[in-house]
Amino acid sequence: MADVQVPQERIVGPQTADDDVLRVEHVRKSFGPITAVRDINLHLRKGEVLGLLGDNGAGKSTLIKILCGFHRPDGGTMWLKGEPYAPKSVLDARQHGIDTVYQDLALVDQLTVYQNMFLFREKIRKPLPFLANHIMRRETRKALEATGINIPRIDVPVARLSGGQRQAIAVARTISGDADVILLDEPLAAMGAKEGALILDLIARLKAEGRVSIIMILHNYIHVFQACDRVSLIQDGVIAFDRPTAETSVEELNEIVVEEYRRARQAAMAEEAGVARAEDNGA
Amino acid sequence: MAVASGSTPPAEAEPKGPAKGWAQRAGALSLAQRFLTLREGSIIIVTLIAFLYFALSTNKFLTSSSLKALLPYFAPFAIMAAGQVFVMINAEIDLSIGAVYLFTPFIFYKLNANVGLPLVLAMIGALIVAMLVGLFNGLVVSVVGISSFVTTLGTLFTLSGLTLIISHATQVTTPGTSVVKVGTFAQIFGGGTYSELFWAIGIALVLQLVLTFTRWGIYTVAVGGNRLGAAEAGVRTKLVLTRNFVMCAGLAGFVGILEAVRAATTTPDPSGANVILFQAISAAVIGGTLLQGGSGTVIGAFIGAIFLGILQDGLNIKGVSANYFYFWLGIAILIAMAFNTYVSRVRTGSGHG
Repeated sequence: MADVQVPQERIVGPQTADDDVLRVEHVRKSFGPITAVRDINLHLRKGEVLGLLGDNGAGKSTLIKILCGFHRPDGGTMWLKGEPYAPKSVLDARQHGIDTVYQDLALVDQLTVYQNMFLFREKIRKPLPFLANHIMRRETRKALEATGINIPRIDVPVARLSGGQRQAIAVARTISGDADVILLDEPLAAMGAKEGALILDLIARLKAEGRVSIIMILHNYIHVFQACDRVSLIQDGVIAFDRPTAETSVEELNEIVVEEYRRARQAAMAEEAGVARAEDNGA
Repeated sequence: MAVASGSTPPAEAEPKGPAKGWAQRAGALSLAQRFLTLREGSIIIVTLIAFLYFALSTNKFLTSSSLKALLPYFAPFAIMAAGQVFVMINAEIDLSIGAVYLFTPFIFYKLNANVGLPLVLAMIGALIVAMLVGLFNGLVVSVVGISSFVTTLGTLFTLSGLTLIISHATQVTTPGTSVVKVGTFAQIFGGGTYSELFWAIGIALVLQLVLTFTRWGIYTVAVGGNRLGAAEAGVRTKLVLTRNFVMCAGLAGFVGILEAVRAATTTPDPSGANVILFQAISAAVIGGTLLQGGSGTVIGAFIGAIFLGILQDGLNIKGVSANYFYFWLGIAILIAMAFNTYVSRVRTGSGHG
């Protein structure tokens, strides 16, 4: 990531609304010398679908992993449904009602479809702590039917499935829980057009139900305008743009991104010139 | 084709002799393939072949004294391999189990002879010490993040040295045993003829159930198969790893006590303990456990241990030089490795061919 500062006037400040289900203020996170998330302000209304755009390394995945309890932020505050929110773990976040579909899907190749569906939420038969496999199989079938994606056998290791099928399992696993907020990190990566459309349909259906609020990391602008109510653009660890999709356009988003490239190039050239000057002085 | 006239649909509806034969053969083939792609399928066949070979080529192999002699060759490895399987499914390895096997009976001796604890309490105390070694291994691997190979190599030498220090490199009589009479404690914990066999079967069955039907087992596979993914799903990977190291060391310590009671003497022999370490790992590997993690069964390791026992006992009876044992053991491991890699590719359907 280049050391390009986003113009100060564009950085989105904290916003509040009464019906925010999730609010994030001044959240930051570094890994050693690398600042992944510089200063994020974000809000999510109930039933809303928010699309997150941004270049590789802009901090999107780190932000998602902070929201879902996988990473702890270095600073900043978060509120969930009006309460202060500081998840200690993924499980803690899930118990608060935030669940995630990770970019790497968090599937275990060697486990079967239904074992993956219920990974870390296994059903247990009492009194001995044995797994209630028949119940998990049945509920897996139900949940997969709801996604509309055809997975003929749920007793096979997921390594045998296609990228799209694996994605569908990861998405179905998350939405079949009782989360209020669902985070999806590139849910349409590794998907064929048809499977991608099914996932978008699914998200549209969830939106229509109005029960859950969704944050999605996307790469494709078309998908953003298809599926999202609002779009935020992360640049260099801050939110540099935030607007309802109805009030913006592919062209505007494009322009911002192109501008970023231009700035990055200028910065790189200036740096090169600086290095050259330093060398001249040294000689 | 000239023969097909389009007016002979009944011929298709009822397959004739050869077609039916084909279908049956295909069915038998797929059944055979399914058996072979069972993780334990190959080792079962290899073990049966070894068994039949020794049973037919010598007339002493099938006698009860021979089969009794086989027991101590396999039961200890079966138990130690059971613990190692859990660690190996985690994509880790515990090289210290030989040293724990060596060290624990001396703690048992010290707690009984020097501290004055009764036999059972001294044994429990010694097992707790063994599990503390496992806890150390597990925490260093999972929390500090040092590779298990290096960590357990360190505990291997530390414990071997410590055993020599506290024993002054001399053997002692194992508490609870006597040359004259085998008492109740000794009967149960290694001294009885079938004691180790019962322990091995019981432990293998329980741990296979744990591996297949409990969260502990599922999480063990998950942590070995995709550590980051398991963590993202919420699995406490450090706990899972540490727990398996603790169990593995505890079982190794238990086998150490069983064997010390069986032999009635506790001998500080680090090189012998390392042979036992490698045989336990061999049993797990031959039984289909992959070193890269995510896959393996306790039952497979159990059969792998039986195979080692048959090989050792059979070669003894045939009067073949002991040197052949390692030769064939090595060949068996190489074949098992090749086969297991093939089988795991077929199972996961990831590019075989």
